[in-house]
Amino acid sequence: MHQLANLLVASGVKRGDRVGVFLNRCLDTATAIYGIMNAGALYVPIDPNAPAERVEFLIQHCTIRCLISNDMQHKKLQKLQEKNILPEVLIGAKVEEHKRDYTWEEVAQMPKTNPNINTSERDLAYILFTSGSTGKPKGIMHSHYSGLSYAKLTANLYQLQADDVFGNHAPIFFDISTLGYFTAPYVGATTIIASDAHIMMPASLSNLIAQEKISVWYSVPLALIQMLQKGAINQRDWSSLRWLLYAGEPFPVKHLRALMQEVPQASVSNIYGPTETNQCTYYNLPAIPKSDEPISIGQVWRNTEMLILDENEEEVVEGEVGELLIRSATMMEGYWRDPERTKKSLYKVVQDSGLVRTFYRTGDLVREDAENQLQFLGRKDRQIKTRGFRVELDEVEVAIITHEAVNEAAVWATTAEDDTTIICAVATLHTNLSKADLIVYLKSKLPVYTIPQQLALVEDLPRTATGKIDRNRLKKISLSI
Amino acid sequence: MTKKILAYIQEDLLNGSETIAAEDDLLTSGLLDSMAVMKLITFVEEEFKTAIPPEDMTIEHFMSVETIQAYLQSRNA
Repeated sequence: MHQLANLLVASGVKRGDRVGVFLNRCLDTATAIYGIMNAGALYVPIDPNAPAERVEFLIQHCTIRCLISNDMQHKKLQKLQEKNILPEVLIGAKVEEHKRDYTWEEVAQMPKTNPNINTSERDLAYILFTSGSTGKPKGIMHSHYSGLSYAKLTANLYQLQADDVFGNHAPIFFDISTLGYFTAPYVGATTIIASDAHIMMPASLSNLIAQEKISVWYSVPLALIQMLQKGAINQRDWSSLRWLLYAGEPFPVKHLRALMQEVPQASVSNIYGPTETNQCTYYNLPAIPKSDEPISIGQVWRNTEMLILDENEEEVVEGEVGELLIRSATMMEGYWRDPERTKKSLYKVVQDSGLVRTFYRTGDLVREDAENQLQFLGRKDRQIKTRGFRVELDEVEVAIITHEAVNEAAVWATTAEDDTTIICAVATLHTNLSKADLIVYLKSKLPVYTIPQQLALVEDLPRTATGKIDRNRLKKISLSI
Repeated sequence: MTKKILAYIQEDLLNGSETIAAEDDLLTSGLLDSMAVMKLITFVEEEFKTAIPPEDMTIEHFMSVETIQAYLQSRNA
C-alpha cells in the first residue's frame, strides 16, 4: 500500500487528484484503493467491461492522469492505447507505445514508508459513477468521513468482529463493495473477493462460501437467488454464515423464504440506500416471512434522520406515501463537477439558529407503517434497477435514438417470469437495420447491464390522443426476442 | 462439438463482434457476462441433449470451450 502511494506521489499525484482503477474483481483492487487514499488522492473505479467511449468519458471528466490496472486487462488496455485514451501514467501493466507504465514488481520496489500526506476526513475518498438521466453518467463523491462512518455504523449494527470472514460479491464501482473494503479492515476481519468467474458460476460461488467459511455475505438478491436455484447449496456446508445482507432491489419473497429455510442459522437484513447515501436503512427479518408481501426496508440507522415529503414539500401525515429524504453521516459531498445537479438533489431546512440541515432527495416513494417501518413503493422518476444496477431508462432511449437508422424509440422496464426486472425497447426505423446490429451499436455506447433484454423493431408506436408515445399501452405489449 | 459451441458464442452471444479460440478464458476475461454464460449453458444442454446438474456448473467445467468439451466427453464416457 505505502509502496503504491509512494509511486503515485513520485508520479506527481497530489492531494485531491483522481486516480482511476481499471480492474475486475481481484486482490489488486484492495492495494489500489488503499494506496490511492494513502497518497491523498481519491479512487475512481472504471468498469473494465464498459465500452471505450465510457472509459474515455470518465478519464476526461475526472481529469485522471494515472490509471491502476493489471495484466489481466492487457488486451483492453492495449486497445485503449491504440485509441489514445490511456492517461499519462499507467500502473500495474505494460502496454506498447506507452511511455510511463510500471509493473506491480516495480511498485513493490518503492519505499515501504508512509508518505504521510496531510489529509482531512472531509477530503474526498472516492467517486462512484452511475447512469445519468441526460445520457452522461453522474459521479457521486464520498469523503473519508462518509466511508469511515459507514464502516463504524455497519460494524456496530451487525456486531461485526475480527474473526468474521466477509464475502464480497460486488465490483468496486458498486457501493455494496464498501462493506468488504472498508468495514472488514475497520474491524480487522478478512474479506474474500469472489472472482468474476465465481460470479458467473453459482455452484463455484456457493462452494467458495463453504471453503472459506464466510460468515458475512453481502450482495444483490440475484446472486443469492442464482445460488439457491443453481448453486447445489444442499451439498454445501454453509454453517459458517451468520449474516446474509442484501441490497440493490427488492428480494422476491418466495425465493427469500426458500433461502432462509436452507440457512436457518443466518440472520437476514434488507438494506436500503441510494449510492448518494450509501446504506441508510435496515430491516433485520425477525423470522421467515409467512406472506408474500414485499419486505420492509425498515428504519433509518444511527446518525441519520429522514423526512417523508409530499409533492408540495410538506411532511406527509403518518402512513401516507411520500418521497424519502435522508440526512446522514454517510451522505455524499455532491456530484462531481455538477453543482447544478447537486443543488437540485438536495433539500435544505434552515433552523432559527441559522444552522442548515441538508437532506438528499432519494426520489424513492415510501410509506411508514404503524410499527414505524418503511415500505418501499418504487421510483418517482424513470430510474430503475435491473440485476442490482441502476439504469435511467431515458439514457437507454437516448442511446438507441442516436443510431442513424433509428427513427423513434421507447424503453421501459417490466417484470419477467422469474420476478427479475428486465429492460424492453421498441424502435421504428428510417432505413434497414437488423436487431443484432443495433445491439452491437448499443454495446459500444452503454454498459452491458443497460442493454435491453427484449428489443423489437416495429412499424409504428402506439400513440396517445395528443400524439405522444403511449407508454402505458407499450407496457402491455409482450415482445418476442 | 468445439466448432458448434464456438460458433454459438461468436455469432449469438457476441453478435459477431469478436473471434475467439477454444482455449480462451470465457469467464474472467470479461468476454461473456453472467447472462451470456447462462445462455451458453442452456445452449449446450439443448444442442447436445443433456441435462447439466447444478453441481457441475462450475468454473472448472466452463472456463473455456476446451474445458466444456472435456466435461461433456467425460460424461459420455
